[in-house]
Amino acid sequence: MIKKERVILMTKLASYEENEGRHASKISRYFRGDYVSVHLLKSWVCITVVYALLAGLSILYDLETFMENLYKMDYLAFAKELIKWYVIMAVAYLVAVYIAYSYRYMKARKSLKRYSQNLKKLGSMYHR
Amino acid sequence: MGNILEVRDKLKFLYIKNEVFLLPVLKFMLAFTSICIVSGRLGYMAKVDNLGLILIASLMCSFLPIGCVVFFSAIFSLLHLYALSLEAAAVVFALYLIIFLIFFRFGTKDSLLLLFTAILASMKIPYIVPIVAGLITGPMSVIPIACGLVVYYLLANISRNAAAIHAMGEEEAVAKVRMVLDSLLGNDELLVMIIAFAVTVFVVYILRRMSIDYSWTIAMIAGAIVNLMILLIGDLILDTEFGFFGAFLGTILALLCAKLVEFFKFCVDYNRIEKVQFEDDEYYYYVKAIPKMNVAKQRKTVKKINSQKSGGAYNKQPAARVETERTGPRNNYYRERTSAPKSVTIGHSTMEYEDDEFETLD
Repeated sequence: MIKKERVILMTKLASYEENEGRHASKISRYFRGDYVSVHLLKSWVCITVVYALLAGLSILYDLETFMENLYKMDYLAFAKELIKWYVIMAVAYLVAVYIAYSYRYMKARKSLKRYSQNLKKLGSMYHR
Repeated sequence: MGNILEVRDKLKFLYIKNEVFLLPVLKFMLAFTSICIVSGRLGYMAKVDNLGLILIASLMCSFLPIGCVVFFSAIFSLLHLYALSLEAAAVVFALYLIIFLIFFRFGTKDSLLLLFTAILASMKIPYIVPIVAGLITGPMSVIPIACGLVVYYLLANISRNAAAIHAMGEEEAVAKVRMVLDSLLGNDELLVMIIAFAVTVFVVYILRRMSIDYSWTIAMIAGAIVNLMILLIGDLILDTEFGFFGAFLGTILALLCAKLVEFFKFCVDYNRIEKVQFEDDEYYYYVKAIPKMNVAKQRKTVKKINSQKSGGAYNKQPAARVETERTGPRNNYYRERTSAPKSVTIGHSTMEYEDDEFETLD
């Protein structure tokens, strides 16, 4: 006998497994710290590339002035300036990434918890 | 209203039923529109500006994830720019890479918003995006919208200055780079648009989540007014070249689109609001429940009761047929009628019944 309640629950569970659940189960394989660290590392690589691109473009934008001052400039001060902006940008971005991925991890765990509760509920429906 | 709701339900049902076919078709149309706009605006490489090639790319996009539409559009734009100037292509490639590495690592869902912003901006109606995005997504949609505007203004300005870039010699590579970057850095119009759209998304998002009647309608109207106001103030302060009349018409169109989205996504009946209050061990709950506007499906139940054969002889008397038609909710409308049967069943007793989904014979 088909039970409407059971079919609805099974459909919900199947839909979760197909879509959100697939992503959430991948996330749940990690500990929170590991998951966030991996993404922080990836993001650090990304922000480094982005910074290099931005620095390159800004130098290219004003290449003539840069070339004129190339032999006159204080390299140490220039390097300090570059590093200062790099640190500011990287820290701001990595903080944003930390918040975003912590939230994502928490959300995935919560949805998996709900999923397992629903599975238990489904199991109990069969034992009635 | 009932008829419109019925049409809406039918459209939804049609989409759900044919999603497997409709989704690739929609993706194909989006990819085709996007690549055609890129080729139409830029179109410097004759080999790429070819309908056959565009069709093949669009067909590929229809079976690939939605992010690929953005990818193919970007590839087409870079190829056209390469034909115009290597420097322009390199700068645009660097900017695409920055956008990808910073923002789109988080997910490809937002790429659709970027694409829509760029496409609608090229049609001079980008005002639809912040209002609709505020209604159906969250405040984070500001990022892809801003990226879409950046991409649009970048390509539009390169296209505007194409003759000048083309006329420059190879020795003026730095000047070309500067010209391309200037289209972003010194662009007040872009700045005003990004600020206006960001504020609009926030206003619409905050208002539509408030527990007030007609929150969606209030949110979209407030968003439209805020958007227009910021554009106007920006125009006055920074002396940008907005066509205010165009922006006004675009905003009206945006309101119509937003209303359409509301109709499909949040169609509720504020006249039947129910306010309930209850409590459990830990909390008091003050709940406001707004019923959705739905048309109850017409359900038809046909019961055919034939008289049993008696004493071995077949009963050839027409069986009584009771036809019950129920329209709307159970308690609203109920009608019964009796009529002569359309067919005569001879033999053992038969019970036949049907509803919209099942037909059963016992």
